[in-house]
Amino acid sequence: MRELACIPLLPFAAFVILIFFGRRLKGVAPFVSIAALAGAIGITCSLLDAVAHGQTLSLRWAWLAREAPLWSVGLRVDGLSWLMLAVVTVIGTLIQLYSVGYMRDDPRASRFFAYLSLFCASMLLLVLADHFVLLYAGWELVGLCSYLLISFWFEKPQAAAAGRKAFLTTRLGDTGFLLGILLLAAVAGELHLDRIEAIRWKLLLQHQGGLLTVASLLVFFGAVGKSAQIPLHVWLPDAMEGPTPVSALIHAATMVAAGVYLVARTLPLFTAESLQIVLGIGLATHLLAGTVALTQTDIKRVLAYSTISQLGLMFVALGAEAVGAAMFHLFTHAFFKALLFLGAGSVIHATHEQELSRLGGLSRAMPFTAGLMLIASVSMSGLPIFSGFWSKDAILLAVGHRAPWLPPILLASAVITAAYVFRLYLLCFHGRGRVPFSPGHAPQGKMDMSPISVGKMDLSPISESPWVMVLPMAVLGLGAIFGGFLGSPATHYAFFHFLGEHVSHEGVDLPLLAASALAAALGFFLAWQIGLQGRVPLPAGLRPLGHRLYELAYHKYYIDELYDLAIIRPFLAMTQALSRFDTSVIDGAVNGAGRLGWELGQLKQRFDQTVVDGFVNGVARAAQRLGALGRQLQTGVIHQYLLVVIGAAVTIALITTW
Amino acid sequence: MSVFRLLLLLNCALFSLGVYGMLTRRHAIGLLLAIELILNAAALNFVLFGRLFGQAQAQAFALFIIALAACEAVVGLAIVMSLARSANTILADRVQLLKG
Repeated sequence: MRELACIPLLPFAAFVILIFFGRRLKGVAPFVSIAALAGAIGITCSLLDAVAHGQTLSLRWAWLAREAPLWSVGLRVDGLSWLMLAVVTVIGTLIQLYSVGYMRDDPRASRFFAYLSLFCASMLLLVLADHFVLLYAGWELVGLCSYLLISFWFEKPQAAAAGRKAFLTTRLGDTGFLLGILLLAAVAGELHLDRIEAIRWKLLLQHQGGLLTVASLLVFFGAVGKSAQIPLHVWLPDAMEGPTPVSALIHAATMVAAGVYLVARTLPLFTAESLQIVLGIGLATHLLAGTVALTQTDIKRVLAYSTISQLGLMFVALGAEAVGAAMFHLFTHAFFKALLFLGAGSVIHATHEQELSRLGGLSRAMPFTAGLMLIASVSMSGLPIFSGFWSKDAILLAVGHRAPWLPPILLASAVITAAYVFRLYLLCFHGRGRVPFSPGHAPQGKMDMSPISVGKMDLSPISESPWVMVLPMAVLGLGAIFGGFLGSPATHYAFFHFLGEHVSHEGVDLPLLAASALAAALGFFLAWQIGLQGRVPLPAGLRPLGHRLYELAYHKYYIDELYDLAIIRPFLAMTQALSRFDTSVIDGAVNGAGRLGWELGQLKQRFDQTVVDGFVNGVARAAQRLGALGRQLQTGVIHQYLLVVIGAAVTIALITTW
Repeated sequence: MSVFRLLLLLNCALFSLGVYGMLTRRHAIGLLLAIELILNAAALNFVLFGRLFGQAQAQAFALFIIALAACEAVVGLAIVMSLARSANTILADRVQLLKG
């Protein structure tokens, strides 16, 4: 099964080529990475037959110590992995194709595609890994790629900050995941993913259910970070600073779904208590993020909160042990959410504007984008027949078996989902443009609830995006319409059988169908009335309360502010205190030592200058003085010389004759 | 008083005159003349003592001294000539090239 290794290696090879020769390849660069991913699709498809027959394909090799079975790692494909492979490769290819148009004018486009390739390689490694440590390696690599791609336009300070925030926040979850792996290695001594059931029973038989709960919660904490669940969801909305295709691929369809995949893969580890926590966190995230999405005014932020909310829904399903339903929703969500993001990207590409309060009436200028966005919105709102309906239906049915009180809540939240997605669609493509496009002058921030008034948008320079962007969106649109049939009675629940699940519920549940349709319609009505028309159907007495709730949701429940106050500021204060300690005490000691040496040097220099040099100079000066004395004899006057000579001669004569 | 002693006194006077001239003359040619006087006083002394002791070598010395004096005059006058050319003076105390 050597071709298994080729699946992640193909995009990795594209990454290597692009990072070294990308600039020289120029326009060809994107197609290198698309070709590599298309190759991965080919291999994935060739595996379908075997996987559909329930086979598990694997490839394993020794790593580190040959004799220790703990350290043999490998790749393996079963239904779950194959599904993720298909989602990552197909959506990855479509989005890379879209990026050819979106990033055409970017001077660093080749690097962008290199990062995308690296991301796909890491993500494929993550879903193929059959060993916790290998999975963790892929997990960290996708985190790195996410960081690189969020801050791809690092000239923008917000983008750089968003990348940092995403990296640090997910890192917190990753640390939990790593601790979970270490705990499992320590107590179970096994880290192979196909031995998870064995690990569970081993620990349960040793009466270590508590440890199992802790380990599963630590693993879940990693998923919380990656999938942006409360309390680590704060990075995902900020991550929208990255290029839109990145938001679509990484922050909607694939990487954030890795948390769902991880929990689905390791579900046997989860005890009843940890499943309760998974369900609770999923539900809280689903509801809170949904209400925040209702109030945001930036297209991409609405979609980001909607993603968080939908991921929460998947965790609700996982908490109810409905792996099939969760994965089914992951599958359909990947299509319609990627499509929503690409549509938003198309709007941003055409108008250079992503503030909803300044958009509007684009349906005439961009008919294809508008139509595809409508398909995605309808699919997401869960209108029957469209794919979102089938996956939500599956979740509702599965959850209803476990907790009868849940379906009504989820139906209520389906109204919210429909409301925010249609609000986005209507504000973007219908009504009138509110403020002419001109950067820098606009009522930022708060969305007023008053009817649309102000000026008219100049639509003339806005035109539909090029075919290279529309085509991938159209393919995703097909997925958003028909993808759901894979898990419907029409195909005899092929999706669930593929995952090896037993389907307990055959046939269409008519009351549920009606309720879903009603929820979607109600959401649409609310979006139309409140979002587009600006009517507030609240009695006057309840308005202040409504306004306060709106403010609360608009400010994202002040969670960012809370973190700032509770974590970031104390942390900064601590670092500042430490830095002061450094500058005063430690630097003082170091500088003091330096100063001491300097002073000693000064002292020695003075000794040299006075004593040693003084002696040498003194000798020289004495010789000089002596010479000066002798010089006085040498007058150059010949008569004096003669006088001396004669005087001397006379003296000698006198002495000798004495 | 014998004639020898008289002649010795003459020599002595001649020599002293030369020394005095050397010490007092400023003019370079005057100096040369004073040296001639000293040399001649010495030569006369040789002749005198040669005569006194009956020795011929002394007379030869006198001849040598005369030759030497001639040489000395030649060299000295050449020095004076070049001094006149280079320093533009032949007053001995104006030229102090050997001053330390």
